[in-house]
Amino acid sequence: MHTCTKLKSEFIKKWMKGLQICCSSKTNMDFLERKKKIKLCADIALASAKNSTTSWCIALISEAKKHDENKTLVDNLLGPELRIKPQKTNHQMSASHKRARSKKILKKSHHVCQRMKKMGPPKSNIATYITKILVKERTQVLKRLVPGGESMDEISLIKEALDYILSLKVQVDVMRTLANATEVLNQSDSTIFD
Amino acid sequence: MLHCHYTTMNIPGNTSGTDVSVLERQQARMKWQQQQQEGLSNGNDHRFRARVEIKPDPDLQYEWPDFSDACQDQLIPPLMTDHNVKKRKTHEDYKQKAVSKENGVKDKKIKGCSDENSTETSLKEKPKVVETQKQEYIHVRARRGQATDSHSLAERVRREKISERMKYLQDLVPGCNKITGKAGMLDEIINYVQSLQKQVEFLSMKLATLQPRLDFDIDSLIMKEMFEIPAIGYSSEVANSTYFQVNSLLEMGNSPIDTMLRRSTGGPVSIPEAFVLSSCFNQMQPGVTWDGDLHNLYRMEIQQESTTIPFQPHKFTGSYEGSNLKMEL
Repeated sequence: MHTCTKLKSEFIKKWMKGLQICCSSKTNMDFLERKKKIKLCADIALASAKNSTTSWCIALISEAKKHDENKTLVDNLLGPELRIKPQKTNHQMSASHKRARSKKILKKSHHVCQRMKKMGPPKSNIATYITKILVKERTQVLKRLVPGGESMDEISLIKEALDYILSLKVQVDVMRTLANATEVLNQSDSTIFD
Repeated sequence: MLHCHYTTMNIPGNTSGTDVSVLERQQARMKWQQQQQEGLSNGNDHRFRARVEIKPDPDLQYEWPDFSDACQDQLIPPLMTDHNVKKRKTHEDYKQKAVSKENGVKDKKIKGCSDENSTETSLKEKPKVVETQKQEYIHVRARRGQATDSHSLAERVRREKISERMKYLQDLVPGCNKITGKAGMLDEIINYVQSLQKQVEFLSMKLATLQPRLDFDIDSLIMKEMFEIPAIGYSSEVANSTYFQVNSLLEMGNSPIDTMLRRSTGGPVSIPEAFVLSSCFNQMQPGVTWDGDLHNLYRMEIQQESTTIPFQPHKFTGSYEGSNLKMEL
Protein backbone atom coordinates (compact mmCIF):
# COMPACT_ATOMS: atom_id res chain seq x y z
CA MET A 1 0.00 0.00 0.00
CA HIS A 2 2.86 2.33 0.63
CA THR A 3 3.82 2.61 -2.99
CA CYS A 4 0.18 2.98 -3.81
CA THR A 5 -0.32 6.01 -1.61
CA LYS A 6 2.85 7.51 -2.93
CA LEU A 7 1.62 7.08 -6.44
CA LYS A 8 -1.73 8.52 -5.49
CA SER A 9 -0.18 11.59 -3.93
CA GLU A 10 1.99 12.11 -6.96
CA PHE A 11 -1.01 11.77 -9.16
CA ILE A 12 -3.08 14.27 -7.22
CA LYS A 13 -0.28 16.77 -7.17
CA LYS A 14 0.23 16.64 -10.86
CA TRP A 15 -3.43 16.61 -11.59
CA MET A 16 -4.11 19.71 -9.57
CA LYS A 17 -1.13 21.41 -11.08
CA GLY A 18 -2.35 20.62 -14.55
CA LEU A 19 -5.82 21.84 -13.76
CA GLN A 20 -4.46 25.10 -12.53
CA ILE A 21 -2.52 25.57 -15.70
CA CYS A 22 -5.68 24.93 -17.66
CA CYS A 23 -7.64 27.23 -15.45
CA SER A 24 -5.28 30.11 -15.86
CA SER A 25 -5.47 29.96 -19.62
CA LYS A 26 -9.20 30.34 -20.05
CA THR A 27 -11.75 31.90 -17.81
CA ASN A 28 -15.04 30.46 -18.86
CA MET A 29 -15.39 27.00 -20.23
CA ASP A 30 -18.50 25.14 -20.90
CA PHE A 31 -19.26 21.80 -19.41
CA LEU A 32 -17.84 19.56 -22.09
CA GLU A 33 -14.63 21.47 -22.32
CA ARG A 34 -14.17 21.30 -18.63
CA LYS A 35 -14.77 17.59 -18.63
CA LYS A 36 -12.25 17.11 -21.37
CA LYS A 37 -9.69 19.15 -19.57
CA ILE A 38 -10.21 17.29 -16.35
CA LYS A 39 -9.86 13.95 -18.03
CA LEU A 40 -6.85 15.02 -20.00
CA CYS A 41 -5.10 16.36 -16.97
CA ALA A 42 -5.89 13.23 -15.07
CA ASP A 43 -4.53 10.99 -17.78
CA ILE A 44 -1.34 12.90 -18.22
CA ALA A 45 -0.86 13.22 -14.51
CA LEU A 46 -1.23 9.50 -14.09
CA ALA A 47 1.13 8.67 -16.89
CA SER A 48 3.78 11.03 -15.61
CA ALA A 49 3.28 10.16 -11.99
CA LYS A 50 4.08 6.56 -12.67
CA ASN A 51 7.51 7.61 -13.76
CA SER A 52 8.08 4.42 -15.60
CA THR A 53 8.98 3.53 -19.10
CA THR A 54 6.04 1.32 -19.88
CA SER A 55 4.91 1.95 -23.35
CA TRP A 56 1.35 2.87 -22.52
CA CYS A 57 2.64 5.80 -20.48
CA ILE A 58 4.80 6.95 -23.30
CA ALA A 59 2.04 6.46 -25.81
CA LEU A 60 -0.41 8.48 -23.75
CA ILE A 61 1.98 11.36 -23.35
CA SER A 62 3.03 11.42 -26.96
CA GLU A 63 -0.59 11.27 -28.00
CA ALA A 64 -1.34 14.27 -25.87
CA LYS A 65 1.63 16.14 -27.16
CA LYS A 66 0.44 15.87 -30.71
CA HIS A 67 -2.00 18.64 -30.13
CA ASP A 68 -0.21 21.90 -29.79
CA GLU A 69 -2.57 23.31 -27.26
CA ASN A 70 -1.70 20.62 -24.81
CA LYS A 71 1.98 20.91 -25.31
CA THR A 72 2.73 23.45 -22.62
CA LEU A 73 0.52 21.62 -20.22
CA VAL A 74 2.26 18.36 -20.82
CA ASP A 75 5.68 19.89 -20.58
CA ASN A 76 4.92 21.53 -17.31
CA LEU A 77 3.45 18.43 -15.87
CA LEU A 78 6.20 16.18 -16.97
CA GLY A 79 8.83 18.22 -15.30
CA PRO A 80 12.35 18.80 -16.47
CA GLU A 81 13.71 15.36 -15.81
CA LEU A 82 11.12 13.62 -17.90
CA ARG A 83 11.28 15.83 -20.92
CA ILE A 84 13.78 13.56 -22.49
CA LYS A 85 10.93 11.17 -23.00
CA PRO A 86 9.55 12.56 -26.24
CA GLN A 87 12.73 11.81 -28.12
CA LYS A 88 12.78 8.37 -26.70
CA THR A 89 9.16 8.01 -27.58
CA ASN A 90 9.71 8.67 -31.24
CA HIS A 91 12.55 6.23 -31.40
CA GLN A 92 10.66 3.63 -29.49
CA MET A 93 7.52 4.05 -31.47
CA SER A 94 9.25 3.98 -34.81
CA ALA A 95 11.43 1.11 -33.72
CA SER A 96 8.45 -0.81 -32.45
CA HIS A 97 6.57 -0.10 -35.64
CA LYS A 98 9.44 -1.36 -37.69
CA ARG A 99 9.72 -4.31 -35.44
CA ALA A 100 6.03 -5.00 -35.74
CA ARG A 101 6.14 -4.76 -39.48
CA SER A 102 9.13 -7.02 -39.90
CA LYS A 103 7.62 -9.40 -37.41
CA LYS A 104 4.43 -9.47 -39.39
CA ILE A 105 6.31 -10.33 -42.52
CA LEU A 106 8.21 -13.05 -40.71
CA LYS A 107 5.06 -14.42 -39.22
CA LYS A 108 3.25 -14.47 -42.50
CA SER A 109 6.00 -16.34 -44.26
CA HIS A 110 6.26 -18.64 -41.32
CA HIS A 111 2.58 -19.33 -41.39
CA VAL A 112 2.62 -20.01 -45.07
CA CYS A 113 5.38 -22.54 -44.58
CA GLN A 114 3.54 -24.18 -41.78
CA ARG A 115 0.37 -24.31 -43.74
CA MET A 116 2.15 -26.00 -46.57
CA LYS A 117 3.34 -28.61 -44.15
CA LYS A 118 0.08 -29.16 -42.44
CA MET A 119 -2.07 -29.71 -45.46
CA GLY A 120 -3.65 -32.69 -43.78
CA PRO A 121 -6.73 -32.17 -41.64
CA PRO A 122 -7.13 -28.43 -41.55
CA LYS A 123 -10.35 -28.08 -39.63
CA SER A 124 -10.72 -31.44 -38.03
CA ASN A 125 -10.45 -29.78 -34.66
CA ILE A 126 -13.02 -27.09 -34.95
CA ALA A 127 -12.88 -26.11 -31.32
CA THR A 128 -9.29 -25.02 -31.41
CA TYR A 129 -9.87 -23.26 -34.67
CA ILE A 130 -12.70 -21.27 -33.17
CA THR A 131 -10.69 -20.55 -30.07
CA LYS A 132 -7.87 -19.22 -32.17
CA ILE A 133 -10.18 -16.91 -34.02
CA LEU A 134 -11.71 -15.67 -30.80
CA VAL A 135 -8.35 -15.04 -29.24
CA LYS A 136 -7.21 -13.16 -32.29
CA GLU A 137 -10.29 -11.00 -32.26
CA ARG A 138 -9.94 -10.18 -28.64
CA THR A 139 -6.29 -9.33 -28.84
CA GLN A 140 -7.23 -6.90 -31.57
CA VAL A 141 -9.77 -5.27 -29.32
CA LEU A 142 -7.33 -5.11 -26.45
CA LYS A 143 -4.76 -3.52 -28.68
CA ARG A 144 -7.19 -0.77 -29.43
CA LEU A 145 -8.04 -0.24 -25.80
CA VAL A 146 -4.61 -0.02 -24.31
CA PRO A 147 -2.85 3.15 -25.42
CA GLY A 148 0.03 2.36 -27.66
CA GLY A 149 -1.04 -1.21 -27.98
CA GLU A 150 -1.07 -1.59 -31.72
CA SER A 151 2.60 -2.07 -32.06
CA MET A 152 3.10 -4.71 -29.43
CA ASP A 153 3.30 -8.44 -29.57
CA GLU A 154 0.95 -10.51 -27.55
CA ILE A 155 3.10 -11.15 -24.53
CA SER A 156 4.05 -7.57 -23.88
CA LEU A 157 0.52 -6.53 -24.69
CA ILE A 158 -0.79 -8.53 -21.77
CA LYS A 159 1.88 -7.14 -19.52
CA GLU A 160 1.09 -3.59 -20.56
CA ALA A 161 -2.58 -4.21 -20.12
CA LEU A 162 -2.10 -5.38 -16.58
CA ASP A 163 0.04 -2.41 -15.72
CA TYR A 164 -2.53 -0.15 -17.29
CA ILE A 165 -5.30 -1.76 -15.25
CA LEU A 166 -3.40 -1.09 -12.06
CA SER A 167 -2.95 2.55 -12.83
CA LEU A 168 -6.51 2.95 -13.99
CA LYS A 169 -7.64 1.58 -10.66
CA VAL A 170 -5.58 4.19 -8.88
CA GLN A 171 -6.96 6.91 -11.10
CA VAL A 172 -10.54 5.84 -10.53
CA ASP A 173 -9.99 5.68 -6.79
CA VAL A 174 -8.61 9.16 -6.59
CA MET A 175 -11.19 10.69 -8.86
CA ARG A 176 -14.01 9.03 -7.04
CA THR A 177 -12.92 10.28 -3.66
CA LEU A 178 -12.45 13.77 -5.02
CA ALA A 179 -15.88 13.70 -6.56
CA ASN A 180 -17.44 12.49 -3.36
CA ALA A 181 -15.66 15.11 -1.34
CA THR A 182 -16.78 17.91 -3.63
CA GLU A 183 -20.27 16.55 -3.56
CA VAL A 184 -20.32 16.53 0.19
CA LEU A 185 -18.86 19.98 0.22
CA ASN A 186 -21.52 21.33 -2.04
CA GLN A 187 -24.23 19.62 -0.11
CA SER A 188 -23.07 21.02 3.15
CA ASP A 189 -22.78 24.42 1.56
CA SER A 190 -26.31 24.30 0.34
CA THR A 191 -27.61 23.15 3.69
CA ILE A 192 -25.75 25.85 5.46
CA PHE A 193 -27.01 28.50 3.21
CA ASP A 194 -30.58 27.45 3.66
CA MET B 1 24.79 -36.35 -16.08
CA LEU B 2 21.41 -36.12 -17.55
CA HIS B 3 19.13 -33.61 -16.10
CA CYS B 4 15.75 -32.65 -17.15
CA HIS B 5 15.56 -29.30 -15.69
CA TYR B 6 12.94 -26.88 -16.72
CA THR B 7 11.72 -24.66 -14.01
CA THR B 8 9.41 -21.75 -13.91
CA MET B 9 9.01 -19.78 -10.80
CA ASN B 10 5.76 -19.57 -9.01
CA ILE B 11 5.24 -16.19 -7.55
CA PRO B 12 3.81 -16.41 -4.10
CA GLY B 13 1.43 -13.81 -2.95
CA ASN B 14 2.99 -12.58 0.20
CA THR B 15 6.11 -10.63 0.60
CA SER B 16 7.74 -12.96 3.07
CA GLY B 17 7.22 -15.80 0.67
CA THR B 18 8.84 -13.92 -2.13
CA ASP B 19 11.81 -13.04 -0.01
CA VAL B 20 12.41 -16.62 0.81
CA SER B 21 11.93 -17.70 -2.74
CA VAL B 22 14.29 -15.02 -3.98
CA LEU B 23 16.92 -16.35 -1.64
CA GLU B 24 16.23 -19.88 -2.67
CA ARG B 25 16.37 -18.95 -6.26
CA GLN B 26 19.65 -17.18 -5.84
CA GLN B 27 21.12 -20.12 -4.06
CA ALA B 28 19.85 -22.46 -6.68
CA ARG B 29 21.27 -20.29 -9.37
CA MET B 30 24.65 -20.23 -7.70
CA LYS B 31 24.61 -23.98 -7.42
CA TRP B 32 23.61 -24.31 -11.00
CA GLN B 33 26.33 -22.05 -12.18
CA GLN B 34 28.87 -23.95 -10.20
CA GLN B 35 27.64 -27.18 -11.61
CA GLN B 36 27.75 -25.77 -15.05
CA GLN B 37 31.33 -24.80 -14.59
CA GLU B 38 32.10 -28.28 -13.37
CA GLY B 39 30.33 -29.79 -16.29
CA LEU B 40 32.26 -27.67 -18.69
CA SER B 41 35.52 -28.52 -17.11
CA ASN B 42 34.62 -32.15 -17.50
CA GLY B 43 34.19 -31.41 -21.12
CA ASN B 44 31.49 -33.87 -21.79
CA ASP B 45 28.60 -31.63 -21.32
CA HIS B 46 27.15 -29.97 -24.31
CA ARG B 47 23.82 -30.21 -22.72
CA PHE B 48 23.04 -27.25 -20.64
CA ARG B 49 20.86 -27.22 -17.75
CA ALA B 50 18.30 -24.72 -18.63
CA ARG B 51 16.40 -22.35 -16.57
CA VAL B 52 13.80 -19.89 -17.40
CA GLU B 53 13.40 -17.57 -14.50
CA ILE B 54 11.25 -14.69 -13.79
CA LYS B 55 12.03 -12.60 -10.78
CA PRO B 56 9.22 -10.65 -9.21
CA ASP B 57 9.39 -7.57 -7.12
CA PRO B 58 8.68 -8.24 -3.49
CA ASP B 59 5.71 -5.95 -3.26
CA LEU B 60 3.24 -7.49 -5.51
CA GLN B 61 0.13 -5.68 -4.61
CA TYR B 62 0.40 -2.50 -6.55
CA GLU B 63 3.73 -2.81 -8.11
CA TRP B 64 4.16 -4.74 -11.18
CA PRO B 65 6.58 -7.60 -11.01
CA ASP B 66 9.51 -7.27 -13.18
CA PHE B 67 8.94 -9.38 -16.16
CA SER B 68 12.38 -9.25 -17.55
CA ASP B 69 13.53 -12.76 -17.85
CA ALA B 70 16.82 -12.52 -16.17
CA CYS B 71 18.78 -15.57 -16.84
CA GLN B 72 22.29 -15.19 -15.77
CA ASP B 73 23.79 -17.77 -17.97
CA GLN B 74 26.92 -17.04 -19.71
CA LEU B 75 27.37 -18.53 -23.04
CA ILE B 76 30.80 -19.84 -23.61
CA PRO B 77 31.91 -20.00 -27.21
CA PRO B 78 33.42 -23.48 -27.19
CA LEU B 79 30.06 -24.88 -26.29
CA MET B 80 28.45 -23.58 -29.38
CA THR B 81 30.82 -25.48 -31.56
CA ASP B 82 29.35 -28.62 -30.16
CA HIS B 83 26.23 -27.93 -32.07
CA ASN B 84 26.09 -30.95 -34.14
CA VAL B 85 22.78 -32.03 -35.39
CA LYS B 86 23.50 -35.68 -35.48
CA LYS B 87 24.85 -35.71 -31.99
CA ARG B 88 21.87 -33.94 -30.62
CA LYS B 89 19.34 -35.91 -32.44
CA THR B 90 20.59 -39.11 -30.93
CA HIS B 91 19.56 -37.81 -27.58
CA GLU B 92 15.98 -37.35 -28.39
CA ASP B 93 14.98 -36.15 -25.02
CA TYR B 94 17.36 -33.33 -24.81
CA LYS B 95 17.92 -30.53 -27.07
CA GLN B 96 19.20 -27.15 -26.40
CA LYS B 97 18.06 -24.03 -27.87
CA ALA B 98 19.49 -20.64 -27.29
CA VAL B 99 17.13 -17.83 -27.63
CA SER B 100 18.79 -14.53 -27.82
CA LYS B 101 16.88 -11.78 -26.28
CA GLU B 102 17.50 -8.10 -26.30
CA ASN B 103 16.73 -6.33 -23.18
CA GLY B 104 13.13 -5.47 -23.06
CA VAL B 105 12.36 -6.97 -26.44
CA LYS B 106 11.19 -10.47 -26.52
CA ASP B 107 12.00 -11.35 -30.07
CA LYS B 108 12.74 -14.90 -30.72
CA LYS B 109 15.15 -15.43 -33.47
CA ILE B 110 13.70 -18.62 -34.69
CA LYS B 111 15.80 -18.27 -37.75
CA GLY B 112 18.81 -18.42 -35.52
CA CYS B 113 17.54 -21.62 -33.99
CA SER B 114 16.94 -23.28 -37.26
CA ASP B 115 20.36 -22.21 -38.37
CA GLU B 116 21.87 -24.06 -35.48
CA ASN B 117 20.51 -27.23 -36.84
CA SER B 118 22.66 -27.13 -39.87
CA THR B 119 26.17 -28.13 -39.23
CA GLU B 120 27.64 -25.83 -41.79
CA THR B 121 26.37 -22.75 -40.11
CA SER B 122 27.43 -23.82 -36.67
CA LEU B 123 30.74 -22.19 -37.18
CA LYS B 124 29.10 -19.07 -38.40
CA GLU B 125 27.15 -18.98 -35.22
CA LYS B 126 30.27 -18.61 -33.23
CA PRO B 127 30.97 -14.98 -33.99
CA LYS B 128 27.31 -14.22 -33.55
CA VAL B 129 27.36 -15.85 -30.21
CA VAL B 130 30.39 -13.98 -29.17
CA GLU B 131 28.73 -10.74 -30.11
CA THR B 132 25.57 -11.43 -28.32
CA GLN B 133 27.20 -12.95 -25.33
CA LYS B 134 26.43 -9.97 -23.22
CA GLN B 135 22.75 -10.26 -23.88
CA GLU B 136 20.51 -12.49 -21.95
CA TYR B 137 19.86 -15.97 -23.16
CA ILE B 138 17.13 -18.33 -22.35
CA HIS B 139 18.10 -21.92 -22.53
CA VAL B 140 15.25 -24.25 -22.79
CA ARG B 141 15.33 -27.91 -22.48
CA ALA B 142 12.69 -30.08 -24.04
CA ARG B 143 10.74 -32.14 -21.67
CA ARG B 144 10.62 -35.86 -21.85
CA GLY B 145 8.36 -37.21 -24.50
CA GLN B 146 7.69 -33.89 -26.15
CA ALA B 147 8.57 -32.50 -29.49
CA THR B 148 12.06 -31.25 -29.87
CA ASP B 149 11.46 -29.05 -32.83
CA SER B 150 12.89 -25.64 -32.24
CA HIS B 151 9.70 -24.04 -33.38
CA SER B 152 7.59 -25.94 -30.96
CA LEU B 153 10.02 -25.19 -28.19
CA ALA B 154 9.73 -21.54 -28.92
CA GLU B 155 6.02 -21.89 -29.01
CA ARG B 156 6.00 -23.60 -25.70
CA VAL B 157 8.12 -20.94 -24.07
CA ARG B 158 5.84 -18.32 -25.43
CA ARG B 159 2.77 -20.14 -24.28
CA GLU B 160 4.10 -20.56 -20.81
CA LYS B 161 4.95 -16.91 -20.57
CA ILE B 162 1.46 -16.02 -21.57
CA SER B 163 -0.10 -18.42 -19.13
CA GLU B 164 2.02 -17.05 -16.35
CA ARG B 165 0.79 -13.59 -17.04
CA MET B 166 -2.72 -14.86 -17.19
CA LYS B 167 -2.22 -16.03 -13.64
CA TYR B 168 -1.35 -12.53 -12.54
CA LEU B 169 -4.42 -11.39 -14.28
CA GLN B 170 -6.59 -13.70 -12.27
CA ASP B 171 -5.47 -11.95 -9.14
CA LEU B 172 -5.94 -8.55 -10.58
CA VAL B 173 -9.21 -8.70 -12.41
CA PRO B 174 -12.12 -9.54 -10.18
CA GLY B 175 -14.09 -12.61 -11.06
CA CYS B 176 -11.44 -14.28 -13.09
CA ASN B 177 -10.91 -17.24 -10.85
CA LYS B 178 -13.27 -19.57 -12.58
CA ILE B 179 -12.23 -18.82 -16.07
CA THR B 180 -9.61 -20.89 -17.72
CA GLY B 181 -8.49 -20.44 -21.23
CA LYS B 182 -7.09 -17.55 -23.09
CA ALA B 183 -10.18 -16.35 -24.84
CA GLY B 184 -12.25 -16.01 -21.70
CA MET B 185 -9.48 -14.30 -19.82
CA LEU B 186 -8.94 -11.86 -22.62
CA ASP B 187 -12.62 -11.15 -22.63
CA GLU B 188 -12.53 -10.38 -18.93
CA ILE B 189 -9.55 -8.10 -19.34
CA ILE B 190 -11.25 -6.22 -22.10
CA ASN B 191 -14.42 -5.79 -20.10
CA TYR B 192 -12.53 -4.62 -17.09
CA VAL B 193 -10.41 -2.11 -18.97
CA GLN B 194 -13.47 -0.77 -20.71
CA SER B 195 -15.36 -0.41 -17.47
CA LEU B 196 -12.46 1.37 -15.82
CA GLN B 197 -12.14 3.77 -18.71
CA LYS B 198 -15.85 4.49 -18.63
CA GLN B 199 -15.63 5.12 -14.92
CA VAL B 200 -12.90 7.66 -15.52
CA GLU B 201 -15.06 9.39 -18.09
CA PHE B 202 -18.04 9.43 -15.84
CA LEU B 203 -16.10 10.72 -12.89
CA SER B 204 -14.54 13.48 -14.88
CA MET B 205 -17.99 14.46 -16.07
CA LYS B 206 -19.22 14.46 -12.50
CA LEU B 207 -16.34 16.62 -11.40
CA ALA B 208 -17.01 18.99 -14.24
CA THR B 209 -20.60 19.43 -13.12
CA LEU B 210 -19.78 19.75 -9.47
CA GLN B 211 -17.16 22.35 -9.91
CA PRO B 212 -18.04 25.51 -11.74
CA ARG B 213 -14.42 26.24 -12.28
CA LEU B 214 -11.49 24.01 -12.71
CA ASP B 215 -9.86 24.83 -9.45
CA PHE B 216 -10.28 22.33 -6.74
CA ASP B 217 -9.67 23.31 -3.26
CA ILE B 218 -8.06 20.40 -1.60
CA ASP B 219 -7.64 22.05 1.74
CA SER B 220 -11.19 22.84 2.41
CA LEU B 221 -12.18 19.57 0.83
CA ILE B 222 -10.19 17.67 3.34
CA MET B 223 -11.38 19.72 6.20
CA LYS B 224 -14.92 19.36 5.12
CA GLU B 225 -14.37 15.70 4.74
CA MET B 226 -13.29 15.46 8.29
CA PHE B 227 -16.24 17.41 9.52
CA GLU B 228 -18.74 15.54 7.56
CA ILE B 229 -17.55 12.24 8.82
CA PRO B 230 -18.76 12.73 12.34
CA ALA B 231 -21.63 14.92 11.32
CA ILE B 232 -23.24 12.92 8.62
CA GLY B 233 -21.64 9.61 9.27
CA TYR B 234 -20.37 9.43 5.78
CA SER B 235 -19.48 6.19 4.19
CA SER B 236 -16.21 4.62 5.04
CA GLU B 237 -15.24 5.20 1.47
CA VAL B 238 -14.44 8.75 2.33
CA ALA B 239 -12.58 7.73 5.42
CA ASN B 240 -10.40 5.45 3.41
CA SER B 241 -9.80 8.15 0.92
CA THR B 242 -6.55 8.96 -0.61
CA TYR B 243 -6.41 12.02 1.57
CA PHE B 244 -3.91 10.41 3.76
CA GLN B 245 -4.20 9.90 7.43
CA VAL B 246 -7.45 11.69 7.80
CA ASN B 247 -7.93 9.74 10.94
CA SER B 248 -5.11 11.54 12.59
CA LEU B 249 -7.03 14.70 12.10
CA LEU B 250 -10.18 13.21 13.43
CA GLU B 251 -8.43 12.40 16.62
CA MET B 252 -7.68 15.99 17.20
CA GLY B 253 -11.01 16.70 18.60
CA ASN B 254 -14.50 17.06 17.41
CA SER B 255 -15.90 19.87 19.47
CA PRO B 256 -14.46 22.79 17.53
CA ILE B 257 -15.73 21.14 14.37
CA ASP B 258 -19.28 21.86 15.36
CA THR B 259 -18.50 25.46 15.91
CA MET B 260 -16.87 25.65 12.55
CA LEU B 261 -19.80 24.08 10.92
CA ARG B 262 -22.13 26.63 12.37
CA ARG B 263 -19.92 29.34 11.04
CA SER B 264 -19.32 31.04 14.27
CA THR B 265 -17.08 33.84 13.36
CA GLY B 266 -16.04 34.44 16.91
CA GLY B 267 -14.60 31.00 17.13
CA PRO B 268 -12.01 30.26 19.68
CA VAL B 269 -8.49 30.89 18.72
CA SER B 270 -7.55 27.54 20.12
CA ILE B 271 -8.98 25.91 17.11
CA PRO B 272 -7.29 22.67 16.46
CA GLU B 273 -4.07 23.16 14.74
CA ALA B 274 -5.43 21.01 12.00
CA PHE B 275 -7.06 23.96 10.31
CA VAL B 276 -4.09 26.13 10.73
CA LEU B 277 -1.82 23.49 9.46
CA SER B 278 -3.88 22.66 6.49
CA SER B 279 -4.11 26.24 5.45
CA CYS B 280 -0.97 28.02 6.25
CA PHE B 281 2.18 26.18 5.64
CA ASN B 282 4.75 28.76 5.95
CA GLN B 283 4.61 28.32 9.67
CA MET B 284 4.40 24.72 10.61
CA GLN B 285 2.80 24.59 13.97
CA PRO B 286 4.73 22.45 16.37
CA GLY B 287 3.08 19.60 18.09
CA VAL B 288 1.07 18.51 15.11
CA THR B 289 2.11 15.20 13.78
CA TRP B 290 1.48 14.65 10.13
CA ASP B 291 2.69 12.17 7.75
CA GLY B 292 5.55 13.28 5.59
CA ASP B 293 3.50 12.84 2.47
CA LEU B 294 0.87 15.17 3.67
CA HIS B 295 3.41 17.82 4.53
CA ASN B 296 4.93 17.75 1.13
CA LEU B 297 1.66 17.69 -0.68
CA TYR B 298 0.36 20.73 1.07
CA ARG B 299 3.55 22.61 0.72
CA MET B 300 3.46 22.01 -2.98
CA GLU B 301 -0.09 23.15 -3.26
CA ILE B 302 0.41 26.29 -1.27
CA GLN B 303 3.42 27.38 -3.13
CA GLN B 304 1.53 27.50 -6.36
CA GLU B 305 -0.63 30.21 -7.77
CA SER B 306 -3.27 31.47 -5.47
CA THR B 307 -6.90 31.43 -6.25
CA THR B 308 -9.21 32.50 -3.57
CA ILE B 309 -11.81 30.08 -2.56
CA PRO B 310 -15.17 31.64 -3.12
CA PHE B 311 -17.34 30.15 -0.49
CA GLN B 312 -15.40 30.12 2.67
CA PRO B 313 -13.76 33.36 3.69
CA HIS B 314 -16.58 34.52 5.76
CA LYS B 315 -16.57 31.26 7.54
CA PHE B 316 -13.03 31.10 8.48
CA THR B 317 -11.69 34.59 8.69
CA GLY B 318 -12.51 34.94 12.31
CA SER B 319 -10.65 31.85 13.25
CA TYR B 320 -7.76 32.43 11.05
CA GLU B 321 -6.95 35.92 12.02
CA GLY B 322 -4.72 34.71 14.68
CA SER B 323 -2.85 32.52 12.29
CA ASN B 324 -2.44 35.19 9.70
CA LEU B 325 -3.96 33.27 6.94
CA LYS B 326 -5.55 33.70 3.62
CA MET B 327 -6.94 30.60 2.05
CA GLU B 328 -4.68 30.03 -0.77
CA LEU B 329 -4.21 27.20 -3.03
